[in-house]
Amino acid sequence: MLLQTEGLTKSFDGLTAIRNLDFSVAEGEIRGLIGPNGSGKSTLFNLISGIYQPDANSGRITFDGEDITDLSPHDIAARGVGRTFQLLRIFHEMTVLENLLVGHHHHVRYGILSASMGLGRVWSEERRIKERMQELLHFVGLADFAGMPASELSFGQRRMVALARAISMEPKLLMLDEPAAGLSPANVEELQTIIGLLRERRGMTIIIVEHILKVVIESCDTVTVLDHGEKIGEGTPGEIKDDHRVVEAYLGREMDDEEVRAALAE
Amino acid sequence: MTLIFEAVRRLNASFPPAPWLILVILFLPFPLLAANQYQIHLINVIFINIMLATGLNIVKGFCGQVTVGHVGLYAIGAYTSALVCIHFGVSFWIALPTAIIVTGLAGIIIGIPSFRLEGAYLALATLGLGESVRIFISATEFLGATFGISNIPYPEIGGIVFDLPSKIYYIIMPISLLGIFISVNILRSGIGRAFKAVRDDPVSAATSGVAVRKYKLIAFVFSAMYAGCAGSLYAHLVTYIHPDNFTILIMVTLLLMVVLGGLGHVGGSIIGAILVTLIYELTRPYPEYQMLVFGMAAVLIVIYMPKGIGGLIDRFLSTRKFIRLREDKADAAAD
Repeated sequence: MLLQTEGLTKSFDGLTAIRNLDFSVAEGEIRGLIGPNGSGKSTLFNLISGIYQPDANSGRITFDGEDITDLSPHDIAARGVGRTFQLLRIFHEMTVLENLLVGHHHHVRYGILSASMGLGRVWSEERRIKERMQELLHFVGLADFAGMPASELSFGQRRMVALARAISMEPKLLMLDEPAAGLSPANVEELQTIIGLLRERRGMTIIIVEHILKVVIESCDTVTVLDHGEKIGEGTPGEIKDDHRVVEAYLGREMDDEEVRAALAE
Repeated sequence: MTLIFEAVRRLNASFPPAPWLILVILFLPFPLLAANQYQIHLINVIFINIMLATGLNIVKGFCGQVTVGHVGLYAIGAYTSALVCIHFGVSFWIALPTAIIVTGLAGIIIGIPSFRLEGAYLALATLGLGESVRIFISATEFLGATFGISNIPYPEIGGIVFDLPSKIYYIIMPISLLGIFISVNILRSGIGRAFKAVRDDPVSAATSGVAVRKYKLIAFVFSAMYAGCAGSLYAHLVTYIHPDNFTILIMVTLLLMVVLGGLGHVGGSIIGAILVTLIYELTRPYPEYQMLVFGMAAVLIVIYMPKGIGGLIDRFLSTRKFIRLREDKADAAAD
């Protein structure tokens, strides 16, 4: 297993957001993570990426064979965990290219001293990684916006910047928090293509939190359903769709086939 | 004009320090053009203030950490350099690096509160640290207390004593330009990007792999080293320092340089340093109003010109670029 949590618990002021969760993702998998609002999906992401610490003595997180429970976010990122945020959190005052270069931070090979003197190898290294990031921008369809401040892009483009910044880290595990929210249907298609290619060409393992069921059903191998911080179902998208408990938790009540189809079409 | 820019860009790409060496050479005849020693003294002070503003801009403009303790570091630099010279009899050329290193270490102390505090709270904590330096100096006999330290030796190279503003200019000017050169390089590199990431969003900087605390400290130490260098140069320029050189009013003028020039804009903070130094000199006969004027100017700039002069320049340049692009397109259409 690439990622594994055992008995993970996190509470805020007595309110339990994640309860005794065992969750694991195999290498090369694309995993969907669904559940109603407040079910603990984003909390789980924040725990894995080290922004939150689990409650004392309440569980372990293992990544790539190493215990990462107590590591700080940047150390976890350095070990190959990349993520996006629901509210994007891109660097608004920086250009699109610079956003990606920050994501690529760990792959930059020069020290402070050579940087301060502006040595030739710093320049050539900078040129190399800039070309690399330009290719990545091309891949996500932002090639023409490299020099633009990120704040001047449209919402859909900013979503792509957030995605590209996470990809630029060249992570083993990529966690996407609602990557399709607010995108046009055409852009959702494009996003799904990108997600497929990331696994195919770059061998990334991907976890997707998403409310747009189309993405979950079409792109994911397996789906985990959370409710009130607990896992209430896991299986292929087909199995999950038919699980009454899941449908109830997710949509509040049972739906007939017609309604399920309508929800999927959205 | 564009030809000159292009030539400089090419030169810079092939040998980065080249344009800076040319600048140093261009600035060499300055003292010959000045009418009197006072004018050259003013130019020296401007170069020292450029160093201070450049350093402050790294931590405040690029890394986004509001520090009001910079003047304390400036004092540490000046006093270290002066005391090392007087008590150990070493030359300026040993005192200067000593001052830079000691002040860099002090920068760690000023930087540590930034791990937990932000914005106004960080400003208060660093203000306390900076002021306590001045108060400590005023109360310590060994440091000259309120009388200050006098007879700080002039720099010397092989028997040549740099005892006039027009002579010491040849030490201050190149060092100041070297400081700008280093800061431009740092801020253009991955380290500068990490600073900006910490400023824009520390959480997503961390999840992107930037060690936030480490880069905050690097920014504080770097800016402290600039302050230390400026302090040392100042001490050996005026040869007499006392705690009143490092009051909160000086801190306000430093902040004004960076804010007027534009936070996070290297060229802007240089322009800010020049303008504010000149205004400070011109208003010296009215010390009781200086604080009022500078404080109000800072507030007005923050409200009406938040990106400062640097922001205005950037906007002008990008507008011109846009107009040129449109003209090119129109030309292409006409063809």
